[in-house]
Parts: sequence; C-alpha cells; structure tokens
Amino acid sequence: MDGSVRLDEVVMRFGDFTAIEKTSLAIGSGEFFSFLGPSGCGKTTLLNIVSGFLTPSEGQVVIGGEPMAGVPVNRRPTAMIFQNLALFPLMSVFENIEFGLEVRGVDKRRRREASERLLALVALEGSGPKRVTELSGGQKQRVAIARALAVEPRVLLLDEPLSALDLKLRQHMRAELKAIQRKTGITFIYITHDQGEALTMSDRVAVMSAGRIQQVADPMTLYREPATGFVAAFVGENNRIQGRVIDREGERVRLDGGALGELAGRASSETRLANGEAAVLFVRPEHLRPVAAGVAGPRFDTEIEAVHFEGAWIMLETRLVASGEKLRVQLGHEVSRNQADALAVGQRMAFAYDPIDAVVLPDDGSPVLDDDTGEVVESGRAKAGGAHV
Amino acid sequence: MSSQRFLAFGLRFYVVVFFAYLFLPLMIMAAATFNDSRFPTVTPWDGTTLRWFGELAADGGMWQALGNSLIVAAGVLVVAVPIGIATALFLNTVSSRAKPFLYALILSPLLTPGVIIGISTLIFWRQWGVSGGIFLTVLGQATFIAAYVMLMVTARLQRFDRTLERAALDLGASPWQAFRRVLLPYLKPAILSAAVIAFLQSFENYNTTLFVVGYDTTLTVYIASKVRTGLTPAVNALGLILILFTVVIAVVYEIKRRRETARSVKGV
Amino acid sequence: MFRQLQTRFGGPLAMAIVTLLGGWLIVMVALPQLQMIEYSLKPNLLPAQLGGPEDRLTLANYATLLANDIHRAIFFKTLWSSVLVTLLTLAVSYPLAWYLAKVATPRQAALCILLLIVPFWINEILRTYSWFIILAFRGPLNEVLMMLGLIERPIRFLNGNGGVMVGMVYAYILFMVFPVYNAIESLDDNQVRAARDLGAGTVRTHRRIVIPHAKPGIATGCIMTFMLAAGSYAVPALLGSPGSRWFTQIIYNWFFEGGNWNQGAAYAFLLLILCIGFMSLVMKIFKVGLGDIGK
Repeated sequence: MDGSVRLDEVVMRFGDFTAIEKTSLAIGSGEFFSFLGPSGCGKTTLLNIVSGFLTPSEGQVVIGGEPMAGVPVNRRPTAMIFQNLALFPLMSVFENIEFGLEVRGVDKRRRREASERLLALVALEGSGPKRVTELSGGQKQRVAIARALAVEPRVLLLDEPLSALDLKLRQHMRAELKAIQRKTGITFIYITHDQGEALTMSDRVAVMSAGRIQQVADPMTLYREPATGFVAAFVGENNRIQGRVIDREGERVRLDGGALGELAGRASSETRLANGEAAVLFVRPEHLRPVAAGVAGPRFDTEIEAVHFEGAWIMLETRLVASGEKLRVQLGHEVSRNQADALAVGQRMAFAYDPIDAVVLPDDGSPVLDDDTGEVVESGRAKAGGAHV
Repeated sequence: MSSQRFLAFGLRFYVVVFFAYLFLPLMIMAAATFNDSRFPTVTPWDGTTLRWFGELAADGGMWQALGNSLIVAAGVLVVAVPIGIATALFLNTVSSRAKPFLYALILSPLLTPGVIIGISTLIFWRQWGVSGGIFLTVLGQATFIAAYVMLMVTARLQRFDRTLERAALDLGASPWQAFRRVLLPYLKPAILSAAVIAFLQSFENYNTTLFVVGYDTTLTVYIASKVRTGLTPAVNALGLILILFTVVIAVVYEIKRRRETARSVKGV
Repeated sequence: MFRQLQTRFGGPLAMAIVTLLGGWLIVMVALPQLQMIEYSLKPNLLPAQLGGPEDRLTLANYATLLANDIHRAIFFKTLWSSVLVTLLTLAVSYPLAWYLAKVATPRQAALCILLLIVPFWINEILRTYSWFIILAFRGPLNEVLMMLGLIERPIRFLNGNGGVMVGMVYAYILFMVFPVYNAIESLDDNQVRAARDLGAGTVRTHRRIVIPHAKPGIATGCIMTFMLAAGSYAVPALLGSPGSRWFTQIIYNWFFEGGNWNQGAAYAFLLLILCIGFMSLVMKIFKVGLGDIGK
C-alpha cells in the first residue's frame, strides 16, 4: 500500500448546500500537494473527507489503492495536523507523541525509542518530559508534526498548521516542513489560504473556489498560465482588463480594449476564444514597466493616485486616463533612484507590458476578490465593462 | 460627591454587619458547647466545661446515625456521580428538537422541593414492597444531587476543545480510548469537585431524607430529633465538630479549586 | 440522538450514558412524580378494598384542603410567608452581591466568597439550630435586649412566624447571593461608569442598568429561595411552634401520623404546583427561560 490518494467523483452535501461539487483527483505517493482557496471554498471539507471525519455524499476516497468507504478515522493510514494543533494539554511531550502508538498497544520501550527518534527529527531533543503548555508556538508545531509522524501515516494531512505562527517563524517552518517531507517521503496534503505557503512548498497545487477545483498544476504553471479568471485573480496579483477578441493567431490574441485601444495577450491552446467574444486580459503589476509617452504598441496611460514604498519594490495605484479604471503597478530594480524619488501623486505615467506575460481568458464572470481579505466581493459579470484589480 | 462617599461607606458597613450576621449565630452555638449548663445557651455562663464532648462520645445513637450517614453518602456518590457525568456528556453531545424538553426534565429535581422528592420516592417504591430506609434515602438524595453533579461537570465540559477528541481518533484511538485518555482526564477536577459537593449535600440533607429514611436515622435527622426532644449541649458539641470538619473541607476544596483555575488559565 | 453519542463515544459508552440518563429520568424523576399524582387521585383504602368499587379516581383529596379552614389558612400563610422570605432575602443579598461584584477589590471579593461558602456548606439543621439558641426565651437576644433596656421581660420569639422567617432568610440567603453576584459580575464596568458619567444617580443606575442586567440571576435566586422556603421542613420544625405550622408539616402529618398517604400526596402535589406557579410567574415577570436558570 503506497501513499497515493484518489478522489473518485466525490460530492459533499450538507442539507441543501453543496460544499463540494463532483470532484475527481489523483495525488501521487510522496507528493507535496496543496489545496489553496479562500475560506469557505470547501478545502477543509475535502481534507475531512480524506481523513474520514466526513463521509462523502457520493463517490469515494481511495488511499494506496484501497477504497476507504466504511473505514473509520482511527483505521485510516492518514494523520492530521490540526489548525490549532490540538496537542493534549494534560500530557507531556513524550505522551503526546507516543499517544498513537500507545493506543495501538506498542510496548513502552519501543514507544520511547520512536518518540526520541522523532524528537530528533524535529530538532527538539531533550524536550520529551516537558508539559506541552511550557512550549513556544514553534515548538508546539514541531511536537504536532512528530505526533502525527509517530503513527507512520502514508498520508499526512495539514490543515493550515502555520496560521497561528508569526511571520518569521512561518517562513522558517515552511522550509522545515518541506525538508521533513523530503526526508520521510510521506504524501503531504496541505490546506491553506496563503498562496505563499502553497507556492513555495508544493509539488502541485489545486486552487479551489466555491466547492470546485479550478485548476491543478505546479506552482509555476499556476502563476504563468491560470486556467480560470479566479485562479488569475487569486494566485498572485492581477489587473483585470475587459475587452473583445479581435482575432487569434496561435497563442497570440488581439483584443479590442474599447477606450484603451488595441491590446494583446496570450492564450493557451486549451483556451477557447471566438472572435468578437467578451474576454479579459490579465496583466500582473510586476509585469508592467514604465515607458516614455508616445511609444508605439499596447500601452496604458495613467495618473498616479498613491505610491506605496514596500522596501524591495514600489507599488503604485494608478488610474487609466482613458477609462478611469484602476491599475496597480509594481516597480522593482528597473526604475532608477532618481525616477523613484520623482514618483508623485497626480503625475502622469505610461506603462507597457510584454504580451507573452498577459493572459487572455474568456469573460466567465469569475468573482472579483477584495485586495485585503481575498474574499469575493462581486461577480465579474455583474459589473459591466471596465478594468478591475 | 460626598453623598457618593457616604454611600460607599454605608455599603462597607453593611458588608461587615452582613458577615457578623452570617457568623455570629454559629459562634454562639459553638460557644454554648463549653457552657456548663444543662440547657444549650450562653446566658448565663455557668462555667466552662468539656464534658459535653464526653457525653456526645458516649451517645451510641449518634454513632449509629453517623455510620448511616456515611453509608448513605457513599451510596449517593456511587449513584449520582455517574448519572451526573452521563447527563452532562449527553447534553454536550446531542442536538435534537427534544433537547429543551429533556433539559427541563433534567433540571426539574433542582426546582422541586426536597420533601416532594422524598414523598414521590417513598410512594413509588412502596408498590415494590420497599419501605423507608437507607436504600430509599440513597435513591431520594441521588435524584437531585445527580443534577448538581451534571451542572458542575457541564460547566467544565463546555470549555473542552473537541478537536482534541478528533486528534485522538485521527491518531488511531477508538472512541473509548479517546474518552478514557483525553476527555476523562480533562473532566477529572470537575468530577472530584462534584463528588465532594455530592458527599456534603448528602451528608447534610434533611428535607428529602426525613420522608424516606424510615426507622434508620442519619446524623442530620438525629440532630433534629435531639433538638426537639432531649436537647443538651451535646448537640452543640456535635455541631461544632461538624462545622470544623466542613470548614476544613471547604477551605481545602476552595484552595485546590483556585490552584486548578490558576493553572488552567496559565496553560491556555 | 443515539447516533451522535455513538459517533463520539462508541457503542458501549453511548449505551451506558443512555441507560444512566434514562434510568434516572424515568425511574427516579418522572415515574415517582406521576405515581404521586396518581396516588393523590385515589381514596385511602384498606388493602381489602383495593380493586373494589371504591377504588376509582377522585378529587376528594384535593377537596379536603378547601373544606379544612385550618389547612387552607396554613397553605396561604406558607405562600405569603415564602414570598416575604424571598423578598427579604433579595433585599439583604443585593447590596452584598453588588459589593462583591463591582466594589470590592479582587482579593477582598475572593476572601468574602470563601467566607460565604463556609456557612453555605454547613448543615441547614445546624444553621437553623444556632438561631434556636439565639431566639430562646432565656437566650442571648433577649438578654441583650433587656440589658439595653429595650424590653422589660423576655419575648417568646419561637412562638410565631417571625422566628421561622428569620431562620429561613439565614438558611437560604446564599442561594440568593450567588446567582445575583454571578449575574452582576458579568456586567461590563464601563456601563456603570457611563451611566454615572451621564448623570444617573445611584438609584437610577441600579434600576436602569444593573438590575435589568442581573435579571436572570435575580430570577434564579428568587425561584430557588421560594422553593426552599415553601418546601422547608427543618426550619419551621425547629423554630416554629404548634401555632405556626408550615404546610410541609401538614403533609408530614398525613404520611406519618394520619397514615393517609393519598391525602398527603394530594397536598404534596399542591405544594409542587405552588412552586411551579411561582417559578412560571417569576420567569414571566423577568422574561427569562429555563436555560438561564441552570447557570
């Protein structure tokens, strides 16, 4: 029995509410696989279906080639790391880690050997006799990992385990989790709403929205070739500019941007676009570069509304002169010190992009996300025309 | 502003008077133990004596009643504590439209006068040929003491993080192992407190006991009958001993409870 | 319902829970009460008459109360006295509960609560008995009053309702203090400060802010105190006289002196109805539900 996980046409309904639409998916043994999506998208429900806390309304889960229907939580070859870690507060670190072995009837000597070995793996040698309440946040995290690994699961399920940690520690734990996964070769299924976590650690990521998997791909592909408007908006940042398809030549697509004039972008061979169809051009803020006014080719003339100095880069909030819509621009090393100093609110500036970096997708009415919270604020189709960030 | 200050002073004065009101009677009762008078009083003071303790120790009926009280209290613990825990677990787990009705039924023994619990127990068991005695006293008392246990266990159960149970299951524990190793240790302090309270409630119960005790006598019933017939300061001696005993348990219990609270606050 | 228990605790433990709960509610709570009601509707018969023509349901036992002037008077006296005890207890407890919850420092409050708990744990009989000594004809209270020259000859305190009511307030006061204290404690201090700040005086602050907030606690305290007072046997037995009998004493006499259990059951049920009636009334006045009372 290996660590592969397969979802066969899984559907989950709670009363009238469908939490998971029909989903099929295969995760390879030893893969680091993430589910990424905003809260309420159904990713935790999927995790609970794999772990056995929930029974799917339809379809089945197969782990290591064995169907899991009727196999209760405590018999599945999975272990979960909970969002709040769920360490047993009345037990010592040793007792926590050994709990899974204890309930399996493993004798005390072998339990202790296993927990010592795992404490070494998570760099917590000597902490065994401590009470878990004495540990720091990062240490608790490691104990939770060791406790889950102790039962030698084929699949480790991680439910936003880093969300309680502060930023520095979180970034450190990312590297550590990845290292542990490589060392142990266990399949990791990771749930998060934090794209940074998903992109840095995962072999593949499934982006979810409203109970549906939008795209499954490796992080680079997700970033470069989002399959849906939701993925384009949720993974990384994107400016959303509406237009109509003029024509298409291979991957290259020409768009009529209305007041913005003619625009160009790229569409993968799987994207179906008919001439004259409404479409959306996605241009990332980091792909826009300043150009002198009057240069030929697709170009956005804007007026700067706000300048945010972020250290490594500068984020500009601008407004398109032609349409009045917002456009976010990220400036990095390509601007000189003097240019950066000269940036001022009210200043006119023109930006261009390489059409290879701009993705064209049919206007599927995909939801628009709030900048700050990542929550859906409106459906793209509900609002006619214009560019959204 | 000065009227505010006057009120504040008045309140403090009131609190002092209140505690005097609370303790003075008990002190007078205790003092009367040492008065060498045939009748329990502090006025007039006929000289100091310890002889009432001796008379109490020589009172066979008292020892008999004390023994009965302890047997009853032990029986109540055995019956009421498991029922109280089970009820708390039930209320914490189940969600159903019948729950408000069940909750009312579960609370009803607390809102029913003790004499009525005694009477209904007595009547119910008569048809099975069981008459008043230690057995019925245990059942009668446990009927409402179980509800107290339920309240105390529920208070702690409501703060339990159920993810811990899920974690135990996920690590391979059976539901029984998860209960035994995770939930039960968590509930232990509340169960112990509830057991102490249940013991004391049983030990000092009068209203229910009076109807179901039959020809057996518990200590409380014995004291009450002594007060009405054959009153001597030996009753005060017994009262004093019981008060000291209760105070020690109460103080130990409170200190333990506070330490427990402090630890759990620190732990979170 | 069983499924939820089974999922959480497994089959055997779920069975144990249901058995314990069911056994308690059915055998110890519900059936005895129903049996008592049935008893109250049957005439008191000799064993030979059971199943005979006279063995039928009747309201005769309830009619007894209406016919017996003395019993009726005692019933209503019990009612009014218990109401009075409840109000007195509330009046005495409220300032203390307020002090503990909002005026005292945490250390003071902790000490006071410990001091309150100790007598609370002491036997009701002993607490009552201590007043028996104080109120005795030659007891310390009479001595003190005579020494102060307030009275010329001792008063027989233990002869009327006064002694019983004083004893009850003393015995049940903590059932009032704690719920009221808990309720006031949960009030946000800033609300009181805001009321003061807006110019409300002490009385208005309490009437408009504190008391409305403490309603569930006050209701719980009143219900418990009334129930304990109306259902008390110990206090009237120790501090009362034959002339100041309590309804519980009449019930006791039916059982153990009159030998008429059916009649006693009817009176007991009336007492229960009295308590339920009072509880419903209080819950209606204070607009609280059963859920608030368990706290």
